[in-house]
Amino acid sequence: MRPRTKAWVAAGSGIAVGLTGLALSALPAGADDDPVLPEIGAEELVTSALEARPPAFDGVAEVTNELGLPPVPGAEALDFESVRVFHDGAESTRVQIERPASELTFVTNTEEAWAYDSQEHAARQLTWDEDDAAAARDHAEAELADPSRAAAEIIERLRPTSDIFVDGTASVAGRDAYELVLTPKPSEKTLLREITVAIDEETRAPLRLEVFANGTTDPVLSLGFVEFEVGAQDAELFEFTPPEGAEVESAEADDVAAEAGKHGGRDAGALEERTTTIGDGWDTVVIGEMPAEARSGEAAGPARELGEEAGALGEFGGGDQDLAGMLEQFGTPVSGEFGSGVHVEIAVGGAIVTDDGRIAAGAVPRQVLVDALDGADQQ
Amino acid sequence: MTIGEPRTAPRTGPADAAVPDARRRVPLIRLLRAEVRWIFRRPRTLVVLALLAVLPVITGVAVDLTLDGPVTSAETGPGPGPGGGPPIFVTMATSAFVLPLGSLMTLLMMLLPLTVAMASGDALAGEQSHGALRGWLLAPVSRGRLLAVKAAGVLVVAFVAALLVVVSGLATGLVLAGTDRLVSMSGTELSVADVLWRLAVAVAWATVYLMAVGAVALAISASTEHPMLVVVSVLGGLIVFGVLMQFSALDWLHPYLLPTSVTGLVDLIRDPVPFDALAEGTIRALSYLVIGLSLAYARLTTRDG
Repeated sequence: MRPRTKAWVAAGSGIAVGLTGLALSALPAGADDDPVLPEIGAEELVTSALEARPPAFDGVAEVTNELGLPPVPGAEALDFESVRVFHDGAESTRVQIERPASELTFVTNTEEAWAYDSQEHAARQLTWDEDDAAAARDHAEAELADPSRAAAEIIERLRPTSDIFVDGTASVAGRDAYELVLTPKPSEKTLLREITVAIDEETRAPLRLEVFANGTTDPVLSLGFVEFEVGAQDAELFEFTPPEGAEVESAEADDVAAEAGKHGGRDAGALEERTTTIGDGWDTVVIGEMPAEARSGEAAGPARELGEEAGALGEFGGGDQDLAGMLEQFGTPVSGEFGSGVHVEIAVGGAIVTDDGRIAAGAVPRQVLVDALDGADQQ
Repeated sequence: MTIGEPRTAPRTGPADAAVPDARRRVPLIRLLRAEVRWIFRRPRTLVVLALLAVLPVITGVAVDLTLDGPVTSAETGPGPGPGGGPPIFVTMATSAFVLPLGSLMTLLMMLLPLTVAMASGDALAGEQSHGALRGWLLAPVSRGRLLAVKAAGVLVVAFVAALLVVVSGLATGLVLAGTDRLVSMSGTELSVADVLWRLAVAVAWATVYLMAVGAVALAISASTEHPMLVVVSVLGGLIVFGVLMQFSALDWLHPYLLPTSVTGLVDLIRDPVPFDALAEGTIRALSYLVIGLSLAYARLTTRDG
């Protein structure tokens, strides 16, 4: 080959190989075709999902969030890249929430639970009495003693307001899964369109949760595994020893409960009294009085949905905030028979904070909130 | 020109005149040794390497000194974290684990790529500018072997530079904090062996990354005779990439940009180490490497002596 031809060939093939490599690393793995799985009814699927014990696995979960949350304190708790989860198939779990330059680690085993924040270099320990734990376990197991009845009950409870069905299959984290879909009945006045849960065909573990709002094709909230590997896990993962120099805070589960009972019990009881719900199903509106410290009313909602990890996150991330200022910035003024207030809406719901310190919130449009407040006044 | 004339490559000594075949093929290892010796004899190489070795020391000592100040006041304040004193994570920045990794990440942004670019610029363009390359091109060394030797020289610089930063950071950390605070971000204490293994991975990974920069620099180097142009092009490229990475609207483009990979090094502080980002960074670097080297080869083979 003449040098010039050789040069062209070398340059051309080199660039082609390089670009292919870049494209392969840049593009997400192509969406697999939906797998073909045996048909299954919704009830049977829910039953089997309740029946199944989560297998030993390790996985990586990611959250995409198009909720349109205002940038309030507490919302940054949701600002993380991915979550790594390890589970030993029994009771021990390790959850690592990866943030750009720090990490939150939660380790739970049969004897204790740890939370460690590398940003603060602080660890919290929670221990509990073995007898109590056993009792709690038995109780939980008794509740689900008959998964088919539990499933029937759950579906029965949802049926008046929702349609629940299995809508084909999906490939999640490279695994075959059924898509269980929950949609509101047309009579429900809600901002939500549907909620889907992908359930692994083999292990019946939930792999992905997606929430869709009206008027969008992409989920507004998606929480799911991108990697999921079933297999025995290293026992060391479920032990935690706080690193040297970390601030350690220890608590006994009983003490925490007692403390909460003494300290917050009164508040909680009062809160119960002060809170009313109007409507049922998807268009439930909760009306309550604003707690004195005005803690992240709006941001805590989605955080709770993300389960206990995010709940603890909220604790870490919570801070002082100027609620009134925030409301003025992001809300729109609203008035009705109930008086006047500020309406804040995100993709999946909204809330009205009235000038006299009440909050009405729900996954509903503004008018429903206003009606609920008006209705509450007349009662 | 004709390749294979009975002339010898400069600095490699005369080939054995008795065996014509051996004269055609100078042992690669000897060329390589000559090249490396030549690189490390340049004062600028030594100066920049010394600078790279000193920077982790400065970082470590500076962080250590700033810590000594506010720590006392923080004890009376509302405790660590935002507001009162530095977060304790910062104190880990002086540990023998985080300091070398942190220094490596910081220097990978600018100074280390420039070091490699400088070596690449000298390798082809520099020699061309003062006529030394002519000897190479006329010597009984094929163009492919010439590029291999030059690339290997750049690889040595990349490896030595990355190793120097990590070793310097490690030594500083050991002096400042001993073997304390070898803590991963996940809150697990790491053994010294574990830390050394992770640092070795970091050095290897950084070498591949720097070699990707070096390959592109060699391609530029092969097509110019001004070594300054090579360094300036790499500097300009890094700045442009840096700007592009600021825009979230260009999200789709980021996976194609080489510096995107650098943040993957953070994963080495996590436990267990998730290798996804590092592996992705390696593929990205190798892609740049292949493109750079093939362009350099194409340019070099068509170049007249």
